[in-house]
Amino acid sequence: MMKKLFALLLAAMMVLSLAACGAKEEPAPQEEQPAETPAETPAAESDVAYVQDKGTLVVGMTDFAPMDYKLEGSDEWVGFDADMARTFGAHLGVDVEFVEINWDNKAMELETKAIDAVWNGMTLTEETKSLMDCSDPYCMNAQVVVVAADKADQYQTVESLSGLNFAVENGSAGAEQLDILNIPYTAMDTQAKALMEVAAGASDACVIDLLMAGAMIGEGTSYPDLTYTVQLNSEEYGVGFRKGSDLVASFNEFWKGAYDAGTVDDIATTYGVDEAIVKK
Amino acid sequence: MLLTVTMSLLEGFGTTLKLFLLTLLFALPLGLIISFGSMSRITPLRWMTRTVVWIIRGSPLLLQILVVFYGPGLLFDLPLLPRFTAALVTFIINYACYFSEIYRGGIQSIPRGQYEAGQVLGMTKRQIFFKVTLLQVIKRIVPPMGNEFITLVKDTALVRVISVYEIIWMGESYIKKGLIWPLFYTAVFYLVFNGLLTILFSWLEKKLDYFK
Repeated sequence: MMKKLFALLLAAMMVLSLAACGAKEEPAPQEEQPAETPAETPAAESDVAYVQDKGTLVVGMTDFAPMDYKLEGSDEWVGFDADMARTFGAHLGVDVEFVEINWDNKAMELETKAIDAVWNGMTLTEETKSLMDCSDPYCMNAQVVVVAADKADQYQTVESLSGLNFAVENGSAGAEQLDILNIPYTAMDTQAKALMEVAAGASDACVIDLLMAGAMIGEGTSYPDLTYTVQLNSEEYGVGFRKGSDLVASFNEFWKGAYDAGTVDDIATTYGVDEAIVKK
Repeated sequence: MLLTVTMSLLEGFGTTLKLFLLTLLFALPLGLIISFGSMSRITPLRWMTRTVVWIIRGSPLLLQILVVFYGPGLLFDLPLLPRFTAALVTFIINYACYFSEIYRGGIQSIPRGQYEAGQVLGMTKRQIFFKVTLLQVIKRIVPPMGNEFITLVKDTALVRVISVYEIIWMGESYIKKGLIWPLFYTAVFYLVFNGLLTILFSWLEKKLDYFK
């Protein structure tokens, strides 16, 4: 009997796993369309209430200075995004829990309620906007090309980039820019790994966020021999929430209030990103 | 610096070890049950078990981890298992299937004559299995089991895909701080632990070196 039960259980698992694989291969829009309609129903309408009931806002993020990072010897997340997230939590009357996620899985993490928000210097691209409901932009950014400092003068224009071996974070805004320019690249799973590729000489160049480049490369940082040259675009950061979530409206309202009160500017100045803040 | 990194990697290795030990605790007995299923005389049960084993062994463990963790939420809007639990469940099922095939190989390698002799002596099937077969099976499956144990230690690195902070995750997190060597330093932990496992298994083999 036990054996039969167990076999049944495993069979169910197998069906489930097959179904899941099938679903994943579907292009995103087809998946999202039906999902959006039930999102209008009362159950999903109260995402704010869901978070408040739970008492915690779970924020999905990655280690990404100056937005979210830990100081040497400390276990607490700090940074512009981390501090603003805590302020937002206080506004909602809930605790904020930070979860370091695998960035590739951010949409799944949100949809399955493993996290409640993606808040980590996320560039608003067509792709992210199709996967989640995003807040109004709150911060400006750009994608820049990083090369070894001693070769920097050869690569000051977009035209000079062809022929370089690029490393870039898979699915990132930088990868999107390279796609537009038709430049092939090696996909890495984080921006930091892309930087490591260039530092190790495995790739000639990488494309990362300007904010990150400002904090991580050049003299006085861990990568003193790297520098950034061409700026490929300018873009905006936003916070991602579940599709149809009322947290988006709640966030936008909170941000406006915090901006008017000067809180946003104070925190931005602490982390040196005040130049990049979107004026409301 | 070395000390700080070592401490944080040890913390990650704690998660790795916990996953390793708990997987073994549940997968070893479960594998035996599955092996009985795949040797069962009830044809539908046998085929069902074998199909499941085929699917689990035939699909990437990485995918299975994603399915177990995200599947319930994506497909049925159910609350998710905690990250570590989801990883553990996947590993138990996956490794139980591998173990079941090792058990089956071990059990079926015992000469038929021994069962017949047992029956002639009036022993029940249960008695024959526990008093005659089992110890010989254990002796025969030690080398392939050693292989699986070592593979298991290294496979735990996959769970970082659902943000279970095991040792490789901890090592990689230093890359963002500009330190590349901690990632490669993790190999030391694996090597030491697998070295211990290797010693343990060769000791076991020696211990079981009777009735040749």
